[in-house]
Amino acid sequence: MSKQFQFKGASDMPMIPISLGDMDWNKTGAWRAQRPFYEDKTPPCNAACPAGNDIVAFIQKIMQEDFEGAWQVIKEENPFPGVCGRVCFHPCESKCNRGNYDAPIAIHALERFVSDFVANLNQKIGKSSGPKKGKVAIIGSGPAGMSCAYHLAKLEYEVTVFESTSSTGGILRMGIPSYRLPKKVLDREISNIEALGVVIRTGVSLGQHLTYDDLKDYRAIFIATGAHRSRSLHIPGEKSKRVLSGLDLLKKINLERKLKLGDKVAIIGGGNTAIDVARSVIRLGKKVTLLYRRSREEMPAFKDEIEEALEEGVKIRYLVNPIRIGQKDGLKRLECLRMELGEKDESGRRKPVPISHSNFFVEADHVIIAAGEEVDVSFLPKGMENKEGIVLTQRDGSTGIKGVFAGGDLTSMQRTVAHAIGSGKKAALAMDCYLQGKNMEETIRRILIGEGPSLSILRYLHPEARPMNSHVVTFEELNMDYFEPSERIRESKAPLKKRVREFGEVTSTLTETMAHEEAERCFSCGTCNECENCYVFCPDASILKTENVFSHQVDYDFCKGCGICFSECPRGAISLKEEER
Amino acid sequence: MRKMEIPLSENLGHGHLACAGCGAAVSMRLTLKALGEKTVMVFPASCWSIVPGFWPYSSFRIPVIHAGFVTGGATASGVRAALDVRGDHESVVTVWAGDGGTFDIGLQALSGAAERNEDFIYICNDNEGYMNTGTQRSSATPLFAWTTTTPVMQPKENPKKDIMAIMADHHIPYAATATIAYPEDLLRKIDKAKRIRGTRFIHLLSPCPPGWRIPSELTIKISRLAVRSRVFPLYEIENGNTYTLQEESHVVPVKEYLKMQGRFSHLSDSEVEVIQKNVERSWERLLKKAEA
Amino acid sequence: MKRVITGNQAVAYGVILSRVDVISAYPITPQTTIVEELSELIANGRLNTRFLKVESEHSAMAALIGAATGGVRCFTATSSHGLAYMHEMLHWASGARLPIVLVNVNRAIGPPWNIWSDQSDSLSQRDTGWIQLYCENNQEVLDTILQAYRVAESVKLPVMVVLDAYVLSHTSEPVEIPTMEEVDAFLPAYCPDYPIDIQEPMAFSVITTPEYFLEFRYKIQKAMEEVPEVAKKVNDEFRSRFGRGYAAIERYGEGEAEVLLVTSGTVTSTSRTVVQKLKGNGTKIGGMKIKRFRPFPFEEIYEEIRGVRKLAVIDRNLSAGVGGIFAQELKASLYSREERPEIFSFISGLGGRDITPNLIEEAIQYTVEHPRPEEEILWLGLKK
Repeated sequence: MSKQFQFKGASDMPMIPISLGDMDWNKTGAWRAQRPFYEDKTPPCNAACPAGNDIVAFIQKIMQEDFEGAWQVIKEENPFPGVCGRVCFHPCESKCNRGNYDAPIAIHALERFVSDFVANLNQKIGKSSGPKKGKVAIIGSGPAGMSCAYHLAKLEYEVTVFESTSSTGGILRMGIPSYRLPKKVLDREISNIEALGVVIRTGVSLGQHLTYDDLKDYRAIFIATGAHRSRSLHIPGEKSKRVLSGLDLLKKINLERKLKLGDKVAIIGGGNTAIDVARSVIRLGKKVTLLYRRSREEMPAFKDEIEEALEEGVKIRYLVNPIRIGQKDGLKRLECLRMELGEKDESGRRKPVPISHSNFFVEADHVIIAAGEEVDVSFLPKGMENKEGIVLTQRDGSTGIKGVFAGGDLTSMQRTVAHAIGSGKKAALAMDCYLQGKNMEETIRRILIGEGPSLSILRYLHPEARPMNSHVVTFEELNMDYFEPSERIRESKAPLKKRVREFGEVTSTLTETMAHEEAERCFSCGTCNECENCYVFCPDASILKTENVFSHQVDYDFCKGCGICFSECPRGAISLKEEER
Repeated sequence: MRKMEIPLSENLGHGHLACAGCGAAVSMRLTLKALGEKTVMVFPASCWSIVPGFWPYSSFRIPVIHAGFVTGGATASGVRAALDVRGDHESVVTVWAGDGGTFDIGLQALSGAAERNEDFIYICNDNEGYMNTGTQRSSATPLFAWTTTTPVMQPKENPKKDIMAIMADHHIPYAATATIAYPEDLLRKIDKAKRIRGTRFIHLLSPCPPGWRIPSELTIKISRLAVRSRVFPLYEIENGNTYTLQEESHVVPVKEYLKMQGRFSHLSDSEVEVIQKNVERSWERLLKKAEA
Repeated sequence: MKRVITGNQAVAYGVILSRVDVISAYPITPQTTIVEELSELIANGRLNTRFLKVESEHSAMAALIGAATGGVRCFTATSSHGLAYMHEMLHWASGARLPIVLVNVNRAIGPPWNIWSDQSDSLSQRDTGWIQLYCENNQEVLDTILQAYRVAESVKLPVMVVLDAYVLSHTSEPVEIPTMEEVDAFLPAYCPDYPIDIQEPMAFSVITTPEYFLEFRYKIQKAMEEVPEVAKKVNDEFRSRFGRGYAAIERYGEGEAEVLLVTSGTVTSTSRTVVQKLKGNGTKIGGMKIKRFRPFPFEEIYEEIRGVRKLAVIDRNLSAGVGGIFAQELKASLYSREERPEIFSFISGLGGRDITPNLIEEAIQYTVEHPRPEEEILWLGLKK
């Protein structure tokens, strides 16, 4: 506390007006009309991640070259960074604010880097030693089931996973070709989950080997059996020989590696399965033609995948619709109609309309139908409702049956790995709330990332963690003065000649230097990363450095509320509100 | 983006009386960080006659001397002489004068001191007008700007005086321009000046929210636009003839700079064009000097 | 050691002997030979002093304000327009309580240009808070500088030592020059109260509100009031060391004079011969030299004018609209006294015109013959 002086008069005053004390008594905070405060806001990438990854946080760790730290951040929310970094369609990147400036951060590549970096250190997630809260069962070892198992194990439950097939991973293992997701990456991440004490019983199929009665010892059940039935085209000849479903073909390639196919293969469909099939078949040395009824613009497969498929020699015929599968001279003969695009349909895409009398034929040794997958509801317990091909659940994943939760492809049309992981996580939280008697709705509100639907386990476990406003930071809220344009990192790819001969991974993992450089491009939207701008530019030296939850704090005794810290924060991590007096 | 590393010392304490968002207060904080503790500062009349506080207080944590308006160059010469006589050749004597105290009323004393190559750093804290007395025009006020003595019906008719050229022609060892939007550059230049003997001149542009009619939170932004628009290029001059020009990668039209400031809100497109042309000509001149 | 030197050289000797640390000056006739002499002495290594050859008188004083704040002994010399140009800084020096010594060579202020002796320059600065000491001869010039530092550094006020242009500045007289050792014993090193200190930083001349400004001015007045006693002590010590001295007021001529001739500066020397000449010619005539104009020596004057009926004041200055400044000050100082001699205010010698013995005699004659002055201002030697 600085001294204030009061003089009787000339007798106790010094000879000349020299200063005797500082001005610290003068609380200029009283001038303030607006009040700045530190407040992290939701980065658009975080908000867009169906798995609920704290993307900005792990990228910041990479920027600090703390790669293990980055892994610690990721594994808080998601046990599958190696998988996601490779196969996720990364909606985070399409929402990345850097996309409005030059090009989005290669988030998927960074996530993959972190996973692979740690794998090289043989890093395992440690098993917790605390007392268990009870037994829970999970049906299906796909991304949803394993994500749920992972989080429940971390929440101190005794978890058993029942898997109908002989191997773990569900769609990750069966449906994704290894040139996109090497099996060892999947094995590594599943074994990390097992290391937490999760027991996986393979070859145990619900309905066949296991009844719901058998599960009554489990306090809660999560069903995530996926969508494995190929959708029918409902055209003549669909059930004939040498006509296969896309998913079946992928399962065969992935699990058995033996498959006899003729030289010419026609594939029907435009989704990711169709592209996966096409690229896999190319690797078997076949000629591949993909038939899609709309144009390239409307193809639901990921753009990069389509690009790579074309590079690898897949021929795509757009605006073609097969109406019959026939046979001629030992070849399958597809009768097709040419299409044109009409009005937009309910999906927002222009609807293909057949051009009359445009019939033509495509010949092939094999025809693969990859027109999407459906849920098999035959084995589900009574009381679980389903509608339009999915099982209906509450927002928290609970079903009509007490203690039974469902998630993953079974309950959603958004059938991506990331969505499955997110739904497994949500189910784990819901099950914990259910078993611990907590209000799930209230909990969800507290731990929602942005406007949702993803949830933050970190905030569930650590309510004291630095708060984050649900507001998603827009590009306009950032201050671009502090960034220079820079090129997005490009993952190197195996040479084309090599790619089309084998199932080895197409892209390679970033080096440490590349990862660091890419991480430095991150705007760190809404998240203070201690850049020091607020401290440096404060005219009133009213930004204090602290060791608290926030690295800096405003000294309201002296802050005049000029707002410089607010406007010079590059990332919108400072807010301003009118001062209440 | 890289984290800024600047010294933590604060020799301008709390409670000072600068307006909210004062560019000069930022300039001062940063300058003092670069100068360090062993600094004696001389203040000819300016906002800084008042900002530090009224007797018996001062928010400065270094010795400072308030001096007559005209006297920056002279008072500092005397302080330097006294310190030298006392055997203190280490402490840095620094003048902190406004644009009025530098471009106008203090020019003679500054010129005299510079010609004698007096050993001090002279910092012109330029806010482009007599802001302390309520925003009257000075010879540092830019062309067409509004001030209370150049009202919008008759805005300033003359371009700003080229103080850097004047100082360069004194052949002093070091002169540089700097502004708060580039703190590390500012600190580097002051630190460089500190290591040189003789008269060193730093021309600091410090936006003034009330005088420039700008919102207080835009002080830094505008300081940056001054550089990006080349209204206030960043450069150094050694010995009056070696120019080092800092090229800014994001060049913007002067309109971007002008349109944010109330003091230019009356400008017509043709006036903006005149300013743009002037800025380009000055830049060309600087480029030539830098190439020479 | 006795040497025949000009008044300006005497100034230079005074500066050397006072071990001045920082000089800052700008040349102006008739002060120039002071700065020339000092430059020579410094160039020859006889003076360990920093000489700032600044670009103006304003800067000369400003530089000394900086240096004196830095805690060292300072000196400057100027004249006329130079002093006027310094005006703002004269206030600053006293307000900051800096014991700077300035020598002013009295010269008229233009227009028209005039380079000759006239006290209007220094007397124009009477309200700046400086002690003002007027000298009669070159010896007094040197000695006054030595005493000025003692007084200034004691009361923390600046001192202006004044000598007449040419009559002293450029006229050689024998001057006893004391040795360095003798002066060192008389004038100790300057020890400032508040020097600039990096270790204990403070702000100087901080803006002061109406709450306290008056008190700071009161302190200056109080310091001025200490001057008579301090100056007397210093002069007494000087006299005991060097065998000569200079009171604020000096009476000469007949003891119980009816008419007292009041002068300052070199006119006093001329007056001495006139008073001597008129001795025993009827009316008892005495002389009074005023050395110290600020603070004005009220008490000393009251002592000296007891029994005097008339004062003939010769002013080599003019405050237009009022008259002679010394006469005005005397009138003001005597107003409250019961014993009030009649004051005859003569203006003479402006712009360096000689004030001859005849003119002085004319003034005395007029004073003796008239019970009171016929006009407020009596012009001596005016060509109407």
